[in-house]
Amino acid sequence: MFKVNPDFPGPKQAGPDAQRFRLDGERSVDEWVKLCSQCKRCEVACPYGVNVAEIILRAQLTYSSEHLSPFTAHLFANTHYLGKLGSTAAYFTNALASTSLVKGALRLLGLSTTLPLPEYRFLTLNRGRKRKGRFRAPMKVAFFHGCYLNYNRPDLGRKIRDLLSYLGCRVVMPRQTCCGLPALGNGDVDIAARFARENVKELGSWVDKGYKVLYACTSCGLTLAHDYPELLGVPGGRKVAENTYNVHEFLSNAIEDGSLAVDFGPVDMHVAYHIPCHLRALGIGYPAARIFEKIPGLKFRILDDDCCGLSGSYGFKKKNEKTSALLGQIAGDAILATGARALASDCGACKMQLAHFTGLPALDPAEVIIESLRPAPAKKHA
Amino acid sequence: MSAYEYDVVVVGGGVSGITAALTLAEKGLKVALISKGDPVCCLSTGCVDVMTGEGDPWQKIGELPAGHPYVKAGDDALRDGLVFFLRIMEEQGLPYVGSLTENRPIITPIGTVKHTCLVPVTMAASDLAKSERLHVVSFKGIKDFYPSYLTNGISRSSFSVFDAGISTTLGIASRFEDEGFLGRFISWLQDTENPHDRIAVPAVLGLRDPVKVMERISKAMGRPVFEIPTLPPSIPGLRLFRALKGALQAKGGHLYWGKGVSSIERQGSEIEAVTLATAGRAARVQGRAFILATGSFVSGGLYAGRDAVRETVFGLPVFVPGERREWFHAQFFTPGHAIEKAGIVVDDCFRPAGGKLKNLYVCGSILAESEVMKNQCGHGLAIATGVAAARMCARGLA
Amino acid sequence: MIRTDVIIIGGGATGCGIARDLALRGVPHCLVEKGDFANGATGACHGLLHSGGRYVVNDKEAASECISENAILRKIAQKCVEKTGGLFVRLPGDSKRYRDAFLKNCEEVGIATTVLSPTRALDLVPELNPAIEEAISVPDCSIDPFRLCMLNAYTSRRKGGDILIHHRVIGVVREKGVCVGVTVEDRSSSEVKEIRGKVIINASGAWGDAVARMGGSGVPMTLSKGSLIIANHRLTNLVVNRLRPPSDGDIIVPNEAVCLAGTTSVTVDDPDSIEVDPREVDLVATQAEQMIPRFGTTRLIRAYTGVRPLLKADSPDSRNISRGFRIIDHENGMISIMGGKLSTYRLMAEKTVDAVMGKFGTKARCRTAELPLDGQDELTGYPLSKRLKSIDSIVCECELVDRETVENTINSLGTGYIGDIQHRTRLGMGPCQGGFCTYRALGIMQETGRMSPTESIETLKAFLQRRFRGIRPALWGDQLREEQLVESIYLGILNMGNRP
Repeated sequence: MFKVNPDFPGPKQAGPDAQRFRLDGERSVDEWVKLCSQCKRCEVACPYGVNVAEIILRAQLTYSSEHLSPFTAHLFANTHYLGKLGSTAAYFTNALASTSLVKGALRLLGLSTTLPLPEYRFLTLNRGRKRKGRFRAPMKVAFFHGCYLNYNRPDLGRKIRDLLSYLGCRVVMPRQTCCGLPALGNGDVDIAARFARENVKELGSWVDKGYKVLYACTSCGLTLAHDYPELLGVPGGRKVAENTYNVHEFLSNAIEDGSLAVDFGPVDMHVAYHIPCHLRALGIGYPAARIFEKIPGLKFRILDDDCCGLSGSYGFKKKNEKTSALLGQIAGDAILATGARALASDCGACKMQLAHFTGLPALDPAEVIIESLRPAPAKKHA
Repeated sequence: MSAYEYDVVVVGGGVSGITAALTLAEKGLKVALISKGDPVCCLSTGCVDVMTGEGDPWQKIGELPAGHPYVKAGDDALRDGLVFFLRIMEEQGLPYVGSLTENRPIITPIGTVKHTCLVPVTMAASDLAKSERLHVVSFKGIKDFYPSYLTNGISRSSFSVFDAGISTTLGIASRFEDEGFLGRFISWLQDTENPHDRIAVPAVLGLRDPVKVMERISKAMGRPVFEIPTLPPSIPGLRLFRALKGALQAKGGHLYWGKGVSSIERQGSEIEAVTLATAGRAARVQGRAFILATGSFVSGGLYAGRDAVRETVFGLPVFVPGERREWFHAQFFTPGHAIEKAGIVVDDCFRPAGGKLKNLYVCGSILAESEVMKNQCGHGLAIATGVAAARMCARGLA
Repeated sequence: MIRTDVIIIGGGATGCGIARDLALRGVPHCLVEKGDFANGATGACHGLLHSGGRYVVNDKEAASECISENAILRKIAQKCVEKTGGLFVRLPGDSKRYRDAFLKNCEEVGIATTVLSPTRALDLVPELNPAIEEAISVPDCSIDPFRLCMLNAYTSRRKGGDILIHHRVIGVVREKGVCVGVTVEDRSSSEVKEIRGKVIINASGAWGDAVARMGGSGVPMTLSKGSLIIANHRLTNLVVNRLRPPSDGDIIVPNEAVCLAGTTSVTVDDPDSIEVDPREVDLVATQAEQMIPRFGTTRLIRAYTGVRPLLKADSPDSRNISRGFRIIDHENGMISIMGGKLSTYRLMAEKTVDAVMGKFGTKARCRTAELPLDGQDELTGYPLSKRLKSIDSIVCECELVDRETVENTINSLGTGYIGDIQHRTRLGMGPCQGGFCTYRALGIMQETGRMSPTESIETLKAFLQRRFRGIRPALWGDQLREEQLVESIYLGILNMGNRP
């Protein structure tokens, strides 16, 4: 977001340059460091492997621990509880959130209302079926779905669950709480650590039983794979990280090594595949694209040059509204320029933001794959 | 663990690596490109230097020692490579121009003139004649561009300064993508500019379609407009990188970006796979052949310890010109410090000399004797050796 | 022609200290310095305000001077002195007898010490070699020699003294064998000026003999070159010394965001042509590594060297010649102050001015120890993190120096010397050593009319060459990588090279 916000001095200055002056025992004064949206593009770009985003994140956490955080920070750090509350009273939450009275109130509290607020669903994944697929299936996966799929898009979560079981996996939905990234992004490392410990305990037990942990949300994935063992140093975190896979990475590996035989049917789709920043940060390439290549009739274009600008809770804060919208416009324009009729992205935030700025349907890569696996409609006879 | 086997795995995402990968992808091979980060070309002028200096670059190549990578690659690789480059850039909407037999001038931010081979179309009008008057436009707060340097060296020239609301090259370039901003800029220019023959701006005319932006301004002002390459962050460099990357992705190349190689799997004289330092679990990339294009010291392909230089991915032996005290001449402005000769020595097939590894090829500025700064041959060398190594690699796979 | 009472040759710590002392005693004076402040040994030293521990075993008198001046400077130069504290660390194999003598003498001389266990020492300096056997804390401090000179000169200016930097002495005016003045060349305009005075104080350090000869006498000197290296990180917050007889490379001093390690001792002939030998770099780095292991892998920003102005003695090891100072009255109108060290500059100035006072009949006494240095209020002090408050329009990214500061400095100094800006704002003192920001600062200078565009490019070239001199001896690893990047900018993008 450096290119649109003149107040942010850029990752090099915010990170390693300023770090030389952040000395132990001296109170932090760099409030501007919170402008960083933690898109991690700086780390992906750095040719020397400097963990720039992490340096900035630590500085953000230090600043937050020494200063009073705004209301929005507390709100978003507790995305998990927000989700529980919002989904339990889903009907009312959604109805109220669209009223101008509530919107006005939210703006007063520091939230942005540029984007329509994501709707909650009562029938969360937690409340649905937690086991699917043959018990003795050779491929066992524990699906870490994350808050967005759980509370806002359980329909999509169920599609992914069903896709995995259709392809022959034993799928379980382990007990899980928020991955903790919203807490880290809002300066609360204690909440993040607590969530991390709970998740590692549960996921670790599934790993011990021979399950692989799968994630669809790439931000949850990055948190599990990197932050749990490294930043938060959770005991047992490394074991979980080593057994955590992106759902498409898992599927394409299985297809390529022969454990899964999939018959991809033809589709007629032209999709702009917007790569979430955190997927890039994982460094595993774009596994969903590897599957797309196998789907006949699927025209797709990879777009990985721009951050969508929502960056989790970042764009929902009024103070970041303008920056987020500028970025959304830029990324949206790039999508529209491809002429695609739909956009796809693994990340929930990207989907929300880009749907708004392009007006196109926002699919999950899994939905594109599911389209290809649909049985062909029976031929009509004259 | 991925069982996918690529035909070729290219390590290093700079101009030479991407050129090699593109060459192979167009032959229908399955290519992976691994890069620890963004390449050095993002810091460059964006032009393709073959051999700098006025006149015919081929003549200067003729004067190079036999061990120079250009000589090893051969004239065809360079010529074909440059033609290939022009085509790819055209396809990507970032056209370049230039004669292969005569260098052309570009103007630097301090008003000196540099001669290069291929330039982006937005720099085509840099060939200012001595009699022509120039107007330079600068932007408020821009850190590394001081228009008075230019107006000092060019007679009857002038400059004006526009407030873009943001002062970084990347920020201003991003603004130029916006129709409203472009309109405001043009109106301002029309109001303030005095009659001159050409207009120069620092290279910030947008990221995606700079030619369109340049043509809009040029049409509105009724005279040629050209960009002046800036200090990093260099927008033309970034555009070049994105175009090359986009071309490779469009041709089916798989990119693994952001994490470097952490270990090699080798069986005898064949490399089988590399693993990447990805979070959690190392990603493994298998290939039948590998190409090393990690660049020189700036990009980290070579690392100089206190007394020796090492190659940071495969641990290949590195040719070093003497002891540390001989690496650099006492004068900073020496055309070519000795250390520039350091790098990997290759055989005629662009494989590391010594024959220990049969399926590894090397291209780009990591090659010994490149002397990129002395010859000012950066991107030209990258393209020529990228094509040459890719051809050798394809032949080896057949 | 300038007429004054006292002419001071040399704008290092001693010269500036003398100027301040004279100013406070009400004596008109004029200081001339061929470069910027701290041009000689003062600007090339360790930046260490000694507790005296280094000398206490072999030279109790020097140590005693150090500790008493240490206390004074802590009081009067608060914005120049960072009260870091220091440690003397003993490694396996270091002499226990030396250690005992150290403790005994410190007590006698009045240097406060505390013996620390390795655990406690590692608490204070986590990067210390865990193999140390013990550490002794002393009141060492880190001091900014340039700021010190500048502030001393400030008092002089405030009281009407003339401070002429960038003025080189080209001759001494003599009448009937008596030195009555100097002729100087203003290096920015090439104008030659004459300054007349009743007394000439030769405080020119390593150039002492050359200046004294101009006056018709001479000072036998041994010039001892000492080289230091700068590491990119503040690896320690305390000064770290080696507890053994003083030798090469046994001090590491924190300074702002970096740390300095040194030093060496090589006899030289000409103070104007000294170079850092790469072997000195390796020697110091190896010694520093023994105390702080990470020193060996930390990027070195550059190496620098200065010449200690020692009075000649017959000892072949120039390090062992006493660092005490001496005042020599040549009895021809010139007095030379020789030897000494930065930490005792104030005392040296006091004694010199006392010696000179006789010629003026005033009984004014020295007050430099009592009064705090003027001009400190305007300076940013520590903590360093204050610089992070607002990070706008930064010209020097390594040291976080913004455009406003640079412009203000240029305007208030009215200067055309890039070095002047660097010394006062720390621009260019960070890891890239001015590789990027100097271009910007010069761009600003030519834009604001301080110099023509052509001049600024010439200055840039000269600067890049000077900068390279400092970097070249320690050029490997990350610094080499950075240097290639800098080259690609100036030789590549800007095409400034010597090209046919």
